[in-house]
Amino acid sequence: MNQALHHNEGHDSAPSSLQRLIADSVERLFNDHVTPQVLTQFDAGVPAHALWQQLVEHGLPQALVAPVSDDNAATWLDVSPVLRGVGYWQAPVPLNETLLAGLLLSRAGIEVPEGALTVLQAGAATELELTAAGVLNGRCANVPWARSCRWAAVADDKGRVALVDLRQAQVSVEAGSNFAGEERDALQFSAAPVDALGTLQLADVRQPVWVFGALVRACMLVGALESCLDQAVAYANERVQFGKAIGAFQAIQQQLAHMAGAISAARTATEVALYSASQVMQAEPGSTSSLAFDVAVAKVCAGEAASLATSVAHQVHGAIGFTQEHRLHFATRRLWSWRDEFGSDAHWAQVLGQAAIAAGSEGFWAGLTARTL
Amino acid sequence: MQALDIRPCHLDAKAEALRVEVRRFLAQALKDLPAAERAKNWNGADSAFSRQLGERGWLGMTWPKRYGGHERSALERYVVLEELLAAGAPVNAHWIAERQSGPLLMKFSPEVLAPRLLPAIARGELLFCIGMSEPDVGSDLASVRTRAVKTEGGWVVNGSKVWTTGAQRCDYMVTLLRTGPKEPGNRHGGLSQLLIDLKAPGVTVRPIHNMLGEHDFNEVFLEDVFVADDFLIGQPGDGWKQVGAELALERSGPERYLSCTQLYLEMLDAADAGNPHHTVSLGRVAARYAALRQMSLGVAGMLARGENPATPAALVKDQGALLEQAMPDLAHTLFGDTRTPGSRLDQVMRYLTQTAPSFSLRGGTREILRGIIARGLGLR
Repeated sequence: MNQALHHNEGHDSAPSSLQRLIADSVERLFNDHVTPQVLTQFDAGVPAHALWQQLVEHGLPQALVAPVSDDNAATWLDVSPVLRGVGYWQAPVPLNETLLAGLLLSRAGIEVPEGALTVLQAGAATELELTAAGVLNGRCANVPWARSCRWAAVADDKGRVALVDLRQAQVSVEAGSNFAGEERDALQFSAAPVDALGTLQLADVRQPVWVFGALVRACMLVGALESCLDQAVAYANERVQFGKAIGAFQAIQQQLAHMAGAISAARTATEVALYSASQVMQAEPGSTSSLAFDVAVAKVCAGEAASLATSVAHQVHGAIGFTQEHRLHFATRRLWSWRDEFGSDAHWAQVLGQAAIAAGSEGFWAGLTARTL
Repeated sequence: MQALDIRPCHLDAKAEALRVEVRRFLAQALKDLPAAERAKNWNGADSAFSRQLGERGWLGMTWPKRYGGHERSALERYVVLEELLAAGAPVNAHWIAERQSGPLLMKFSPEVLAPRLLPAIARGELLFCIGMSEPDVGSDLASVRTRAVKTEGGWVVNGSKVWTTGAQRCDYMVTLLRTGPKEPGNRHGGLSQLLIDLKAPGVTVRPIHNMLGEHDFNEVFLEDVFVADDFLIGQPGDGWKQVGAELALERSGPERYLSCTQLYLEMLDAADAGNPHHTVSLGRVAARYAALRQMSLGVAGMLARGENPATPAALVKDQGALLEQAMPDLAHTLFGDTRTPGSRLDQVMRYLTQTAPSFSLRGGTREILRGIIARGLGLR
């Protein structure tokens, strides 16, 4: 069992050796290959193919692919440096979507195809239906990177997972993008047959794409938030006005401290959700967990932090941060996009609020401490 | 960045089992405590209740047995604290002694004061207050003017302290004062801590009523008060360093985000689950409760491992006060002109709306805390 899941009294969730190894290679790869030139090129319509090739060579897109019975499989905590790294370096590739698709497919006993993969939620509360015979009908909006992916993993709310070919004639794609120019496409399925169908062997996840998708976005938000904070602190320490670095002014310090507090809350909440998600991977199918609650908390905190941090980071940077030339916007445009995706903070707050009101004064604290509200 | 990374800390089965026990006790002990009293949270004082906790072994839980403690884990203690606060138990009488004075004496007077006084603290019988602020000294603690002058067998103290919570009922005051001048390049030099018996000749305690008319604060006057050598805490001149360690304990606990819990609970009972304005705004608060709880627990884990989480503690307190202070305004937004006068919600809202301004003043102002966080970020 992974070291990060051993928790003795008073011990914290120290990173596993696998997590540290992944963190090192992510830092090296992204530092070298996600340069301002790559991001500027991406904004001009040039996909980051060379970056993707590097990631494939290091095996990162398939890091969560493992047979159902594999006790040594990498966990969500182990791959968390990848999830956050995509946010911290703003890597313009479907890496995290491919990771999630790989997990869902392999946990349903479906062979994972090569290349970039995207994810779709079907069933209740969506406009997409997966029939018993394995045929898809309906629509799905804001699908990440659909044009860049030949295949998608589809999960419904009944524990079924399918692999579908997005290049078949029964699927039409309407191109779209988020504020950062990342593909967010609308897909229309007209009696599209799936290529494989399986049952998800994972505990207590009713809407896996929706819930894990929100967890992945929360991690990406935290990464981009840390990038904003690092940039703002560095800029405040080097920019001199009135004879001193602006970071020496209390007005700047107080804003950055406030921003750091919100980011810290988002990071801790996201760590807790990653821990739950890792436990779910090792739990018996059918057992319950706190994952849905923990993910809702993480997405609310990360979304709220994004709203505050984009404002403070731009304010501290002044006019230069508003230029195309400065790299701050690579992070802030993604924060404004990702806070909306897989459920905005208002959406997840509503879910939590309904549960809290239902629990009432008698049940709220018990639900909060058990993380099952 | 490293300084502000608060990693989650996971409670074990032993701590969770204790939670069940504490809940059962509180359901019984507090069954007649009205919502308006629970709203006082850790400002509510009841010495009989504090002694009951002592009898159950829930004070001084982590201390060695030779000091009257129970040698349980810091996380077990954390569970007891958060259960007491969430239930609105009247814990103020023993709170400061148990939270910071006991640990301070254990660290800096392990052979003299700790064996003598800690067993009574653990029984809930000996109450402490803290003399830091002075009439002209608030956030700028290095400027304290209360002085102790060495004399045969002890010290003679003159000066005054202010905002001293609970001094009217406490036995001892841990007092920050000057035993020497400020040193060149070190404005915190020359400070020391003395333990002053509030019944000693020369001590006068005068009440200061807060804006609700309550008597929590006091002004404490010290005129030629004799303090025996044994009652010096630590070393002369080390006062500032010692206070720093104490402040991490003072700022990091669950009391720094739970003060408005009763108001949140009343709002939940008054809310309409079909109204998106209610569900979204109360849900945002629920998320912040969950995150703050994990952060607070994470800092408790750092303390349990012997780390000094001064910066994370400041951050948790700043975030906690933001959560607490958002609550009265939310109650105003959702129920400002629709609540029933005299209802539980009304009573709790009346009290907490008027108390909330103090939450970002006590235990370090928001500005001081954010200054500490800014230094942690590497801003100079």
